[in-house]
Formats: sequence, C-alpha cells, structure tokens
Amino acid sequence: MAALLEMRGIVRLFGDVRANDGIDLFVHSGEILGLLGENGSGKSTLMKLLYGMLPPDAGDIRFDGAQLKGHTPFDAISAGIAMIHQHFMLIEAMTVTENILLGWPGAGQILRQKHMAAHIRDMSQRFGLDLDPDAKISSLSLGRRQRVEILKAILRDAKLLILDEPTSNLAPSEVRELLDIMRRLKSEGKGIVFISHKLPEVLDVCDRVVVLRAGKLAGAAAVADVSRNDLAEMMVGRTVPMPQVEAGDQARGPQQLSVRGLKAAGLEAITFDVRAGEILGLAGVDGNGQLELAESLAGLRSIADGSVLICGQDATTTSVAERVRLGLAYLPADRSHTALVKSMTVLDNLMLRDTMRPPYGSAALLTPAAGRAEAKVLMAEYDVRAPGPESVVGRLSGGNQQKVVIARELARKPQVVVAHQATWGLDPGATRFVLDQMIALRREGAAILYISSELEEILSISDRIAVMAGGSFAGIVPNRNVDLRQIGLWMSGRAA
Amino acid sequence: MSDASNSLSPPAPLARLRLSLGRLGLGGNILIALLLSIASAALLIALAGKNPLDGFLAILAGAFGDTHQIGVALNRTTPYLLSGIGVAICFRAGIINLGAEGQIALGGAGAAAAALLVQTAPPIVAIVVTLAGGAIAGAAWSGVATILHLGRRVHEVLATLLLNFVALLLVQQLLAGPLGQFGAGFLQSPLMPRTAWLPKLAGLDAHIGIGIAVVAALAASFLIWRTPFGFALRVAGSSRLATTYAGFSLQKLTWGAMLLAGALAGLAGGVEVIGIHRRLIEGFSLGFGFKAVTVALLGALEPMAIVPAALFIGFLETGSLAMQRQIGVPSALVTVIEGLTMVYVLVAMAGRRT
Ligand SMILES: Nc1ncnc2c1ncn2[C@@H]1O[C@H](COP(=O)(O)OP(=O)(O)OP(=O)(O)O)[C@@H](O)[C@H]1O
Ligand SMILES: [Mg+2]
Repeated sequence: MAALLEMRGIVRLFGDVRANDGIDLFVHSGEILGLLGENGSGKSTLMKLLYGMLPPDAGDIRFDGAQLKGHTPFDAISAGIAMIHQHFMLIEAMTVTENILLGWPGAGQILRQKHMAAHIRDMSQRFGLDLDPDAKISSLSLGRRQRVEILKAILRDAKLLILDEPTSNLAPSEVRELLDIMRRLKSEGKGIVFISHKLPEVLDVCDRVVVLRAGKLAGAAAVADVSRNDLAEMMVGRTVPMPQVEAGDQARGPQQLSVRGLKAAGLEAITFDVRAGEILGLAGVDGNGQLELAESLAGLRSIADGSVLICGQDATTTSVAERVRLGLAYLPADRSHTALVKSMTVLDNLMLRDTMRPPYGSAALLTPAAGRAEAKVLMAEYDVRAPGPESVVGRLSGGNQQKVVIARELARKPQVVVAHQATWGLDPGATRFVLDQMIALRREGAAILYISSELEEILSISDRIAVMAGGSFAGIVPNRNVDLRQIGLWMSGRAA
Repeated sequence: MSDASNSLSPPAPLARLRLSLGRLGLGGNILIALLLSIASAALLIALAGKNPLDGFLAILAGAFGDTHQIGVALNRTTPYLLSGIGVAICFRAGIINLGAEGQIALGGAGAAAAALLVQTAPPIVAIVVTLAGGAIAGAAWSGVATILHLGRRVHEVLATLLLNFVALLLVQQLLAGPLGQFGAGFLQSPLMPRTAWLPKLAGLDAHIGIGIAVVAALAASFLIWRTPFGFALRVAGSSRLATTYAGFSLQKLTWGAMLLAGALAGLAGGVEVIGIHRRLIEGFSLGFGFKAVTVALLGALEPMAIVPAALFIGFLETGSLAMQRQIGVPSALVTVIEGLTMVYVLVAMAGRRT
C-alpha cells in the first residue's frame, strides 16, 4: 500500500542551524507514528514544513498521491492535513459550533447552526469526544478545547493529524482520553503524527517511532520491538534512569518557606512548611489550585488571608521584586506569556528578573558586555541550544525555551524555589538534568516546592509528597514506602 | 510595534540605527515605498494640471535650495522629533499616548509664562527656565491623563486624545486672560523677553532646538537600551504578565513613560515658542502632536531612527509648501502626499513584522 504521506530528503536551515538535514518520513493511513527526539532536534520544524507554515530548502513532499510544493496551511488543510497547535486557535467567547463553522468553506454559504450542531454531536459521539456543541469555549478545560480542534480536523475530512506535544498540559485522565481518541481515529483510517517526550505515552499508543537527532534521522522502530530504555537511548544516546532521593537522607535546616492559613481566590486555607535542604513534591491534577498557590507565593496574586514567610521574613504583602531579593525563585508553568518574553533575546530573558543586579546591571545602568558573557556561560551550563545570547527566544525550540527559564531562576542560587511544571516540554535528558539540579540545590540547602502533574518526577526527588485537590492540600506524607493508592485517592479529591 | 526591535542591541548609536532599520526591512522595502510615494505625488501633481517634474524641482529647491530653506526645514523638524521621541517611549511600553498635541500646546503656554516671569534673568538662565517651564507644563498635562488612566481606568487612548481638546481650549483661555497681549486683536501673548530667545545655529536660519532634539534622541536611545528602566519599558510593551513576573511595577512604568513623553512634548512647545514665534500664538502647534505619532512610527520607535524620520517629514513639508507657493498647486495636495508617503512606508515596515 502506498504511504499516505511521503517526505523525502527534507532540508531546512535557519541561518547556520540545520534544523532538518535530509529527513525521510512516511506515514500510512491507520497508523500512529511517534516522532521523537531531543529538544531542538527538528520535530516541530519538520511538521511546520509539512503543514506549509515554512517552506523547505530542499526535499519532496507527497501526500495522498499528489505532490505538495510551495503550499500554505490553507492548501495543506484542503489536501487533508490537520495540525493541532499547542496554543489553540479558538475564539473563547464563541460556542463550539461557531468555532467549528469559522473559516470552513465546507460549511456552506449559509450558516445552518442547528443542523451543524446535530452533526457535531453525532461526530463527537462517534469518536468519543464528548463535546457539547453549544458550550462556550471559555467554559471548557484545555483537554476539551483540544478536542474541539480535533473535531474541526475530523469534520474537514483530514486524513492526517499532526499533534505536536498535545499532552504536555493535560491532566493524566485527559491524556488517557486523548490516547483513546487517537486510537479511535486510527481505526477510522486516519494517519497520525504524535510528537511527545513522554515515552510511556508513546509506547502506549504508537505503532512505529521515528527518532530525530540534530536534524537527521537517528533511528526508527516498530513500537512492539522496543522498550522505554531503547527509545531514550535512541534519542539521547544513553539511558536516562530517574534519580532517586532518599527521604531523610540528609539533615534538614530551618523552615525556609512557611505558609500559614493561606487563602486566595481558588485556594482554601493552606498550611505547610518547607525546610532548608528539603524538596516538597506537590502532586495533583493540574487546575486544582496549583497555579493559584504558586502565584500567591511568588507575589503575582493577592493573598486574602494567612501569611507567607520566606527565609524567616514575612513576605505576605511584599512585592515580586522583594521576594526575589529574599531568595525566592519561581518557575511559572505559563512559559509563553509569563516566564518568557518571546520577542526578546535569550540574554534579555536571562536577565529578566535581575536587571539591577550584577553581572547584568545596577540600579541605573545595564552592563550588556558582562551580561552577554554571563549568558554565554549559562547557555553552555544549561545546554540552551541557540546560536547565541542575541537569538530571539521565540525562535528557540520549545524545550530550549524552558531551559532559559530554568537557567535564569536556578543560576541565582535561590534559597527557596517554587517550580511549577518545570520539565514541561523537556526531553528525557533535559528532564533528568532539571531533576539533578533540584537535587543539587537541595544539597546546598535550598527549600524547594516542586509542583508537577508528573507523579514519577515527584516520587523520584521529593522528601515529602503533598497532594492538592480542590484548592487545598488533601494530604502530606513522607516519601518513604508511599501508598500510591492513597495518593491516587487524594488526587481524585476523595477523602480516604 | 515590531517585537523584534525590542531586544538588546549593540551599543553604538549608528550600529543601533542600522540594526533597527535592518530588522524592519527598511533596507529594501522602504526604497520601494519612497518610489511609490514619488510616483503618487507625480500623479497628483499632474492631476492638478501641473508638470510633475517642475513640482519635484520646486520641492527640492524649497527644501535644500539655500541655507535659509534648510534652516526652515530644520526648525520644522525640531518639534516633531522632540515629541516623537516621547511618543516612541510610550508606544514601546505599550501605552498608546495620543496626547502630544495638547501637551505641546500647554508646553508652549508653560514656556511663555515662565519666560514672562523671568524678564530680567540673564540669557542662559532665561532660556533654561523657559524650557523647563514648557517641559513641566507638558508633563503636568500628561500626568492628568495618567491619573485618569491609572486611577479611574479610562483607556489611555481616550484619556490622552480627549485631553488634547481641553488643552487647546485652555491655551485659548490663557491667551484671552493672563497670558494674552492686551488689545492685539488676535489671541497671542506679548513678545518674549529677548533674553529668552533661542539662539540661532551658526550660519543657518535654524535655532539650536534641533541640537537639543538630537541630544534628546541620543539620551532616549540610551535610556531604552542601556538602563533597567528602558528594559522594563520594552518588556511591558511585549507582555504585561511577564512585566509583573519580572518584578517591574506597571504603574511606575506608566508614570515614567507618560511624564517623560509629556516633558518632551512640552519642551517641543517651548522650543517652538521661543525659537520661532517669540510669543505664544493661538494654534501655533496645530497638528504637531499627530506628526509626532507619524515620525515615531516611521522611525520604528527607535529614537535614533526617529531622527531621520523627522528630518524626512520636516524637509518634505518645507519643500512641498514651497512648491505650493511656486507652481500653485492646492495646499491640500501637500497633506495628501505626506499622508500617502506615510501609508506606504508603514506598509513596507508592516510587511516585515513577522
Ligand atoms: N523560526 C526559527 N528561526 C531560527 N531558528 C529556528 C526557528 N525555528 C526553529 N529553529 C531552530 O531549529 C532547531 C529545531 O527546532 P524545532 O523547534 O524543530 O525543535 P523540536 O525538535 O521541536 O524541539 P522541542 O522538543 O524542544 O520542541 C532548533 O535549533 C531551533 O533553534
Ligand atoms: Mg517542538
């Protein structure tokens, strides 16, 4: 059977960077292809070339028997290719039906909303999407919004769906449902390209994997024949086991972060301490108050009641800048708008919260030369792959953007760290690096609140584990012979 | 404006200029834009029944013909440049300040008041006091807009724009009252004391205002690229969330940018009053505030690039007015040519803004 998609000898350069360097890729109908690779290996670029968002420098794309050349995303859509973007292109104030009708020639010249709504309900049932056609987008969870995009693709008769890191900001249950939806699509004969750094998902849902390294093909395999370690080795050239911190394996210092009866919008009274040299892992389904807690600690949200002590000082009402001075580092989960200014350079972003401190500057002046030197050091240390400190951050690969955030916050040698989804979009090697950094900071006596929906990471580095549900802590236990069932119950919000 | 121009640039002003121009694609596209505007101007002049070539020669002669004309053009450039820099500082921070028009007018009034108060002061002191008066008045007026914006959440476009009308009426009122010349039959102030007149540049009919403006551009460029405050402004212009996360206060930034812009616009008004008319005249700065926005955008919000942008508009206007006198095309034509040029250049720049 001829492949649905055949890409041959694809080359794309960005200046000196060979983002895609002669890649061959094919996908069949009714097949889920996992596209893997380290951060910056060229996965997103390859998909953007396919979708017509960027022109290739060389290479040949055949889709469904016809050649695609000089095409735009519009052409790609009409040919039957759909790309589900990380940031959904939906209009929040409109309903599901309206969003699906939007910009769809196939819907006809006259808007028949009722008819369409019925059709949407049918299709959504058929693929297990569980969408209400009349729901406003703003009322939907991220997972649901993603399904609207998927439904859009289905209704437009897409034959191939591209999912670029679709699971990174979904709750575990939503991930499971998404994988089910993908299987259903596959059984209906769609081809799917699935990009993810989470190997268990890949092994779970894909038929075949292709691994990129530095813009070239580094390997391909049928999923049935490989293990997780094999995949990691294909990606980064070595196996990457999780580190393991033993709870209580080092003496802990004084309480560096003390939260007493903290109340804010979306948070019920929360009390906990993190001591110097301790990692408190905060597990839980994202959206249960983690963001509210993290932002209240960082000073980005006003606190209604209770108190926050950072390094023994009352910081309940102090400004963001003052908290940084007290020794607080904050890695926000929202990379695109909060943690980074995408239109500015790597150097600008590295100094974002430290412009008035050496080496970046003083209260009155910036010192670009010293800042640039520091940026080079940090880029090497944290393996930020970009041409130089002057590269615009928005042009970096997703994982490398995250490394900029990590470098900035951890290089300050913080006393207290609040990390929210710190490994979001990182490949296994980089994830391991971040976990190691957290452990190193812990050894040096930092107090770390590590918020993640990746239970595996939490279990691997925490001294104690807390679980958040419904805006408060469902429980805190030491990380020793943890009862996973108990954690699961806490997560689902059921008292046990 | 262009996001890409918000990043840290090399230090030398010239390199900075080249970089900002290059980033915006002004190397190639702007030439096309200028050619297009020349072609449109030719068409318009021909439609008015005149020979386009004569028209262009008249523009050139009017702009560069002799030192007097060059001086006139430089004087025309000065207020656009000064207030354009202020507009750029605000726009960089994402604050759409359209209040230069009113701030310039009140700046003129403030300068006139200050000059009349220090009748007996020695020249340098008188000039400094006068210009300071202008800057303070301009800043005070932008401060009013800022209070409305931050305190009462009035959108800054609305606050700044509407206060322009109030400012113009206020100046009228001042001229009808305390600042007016009794029995002039025209809304104008008495002549400024000679000590407060802005000296001329050696060998030219231009006053030293253009020098002040270029120094202001250098200072603004330094501010934007080399100080934490400027950095914060650029961050604020790109992402409000990141600004708060970075620990910058949006309130303080808004105050800073607005007061600076107001002061620069007020300075422009002051320079105009003591440099050209030597008195405050009703409507002396009509339309200047909107030219300020024009040159700020033409200069891609980069102070060093606003210098040539303001010069371009200043010389174009001076030349066009001369053409209007010489070959007798309607004066509206000048405005149309200027407007078209602006549109073409902005389109050329927008094309590269991805
Ligand atoms: N618009 C661009 N301009 C310059 N360089 C770019 C651009 N887009 C991508 N690159 C570079 O191309 C390389 C591949 O990037 P790409 O985004 O394809 O990586 P990726 O495999 O998707 O990585 P990640 O897992 O981190 O998302 C990187 O080195 C990146 O810096
Ligand atoms: Mg990517």
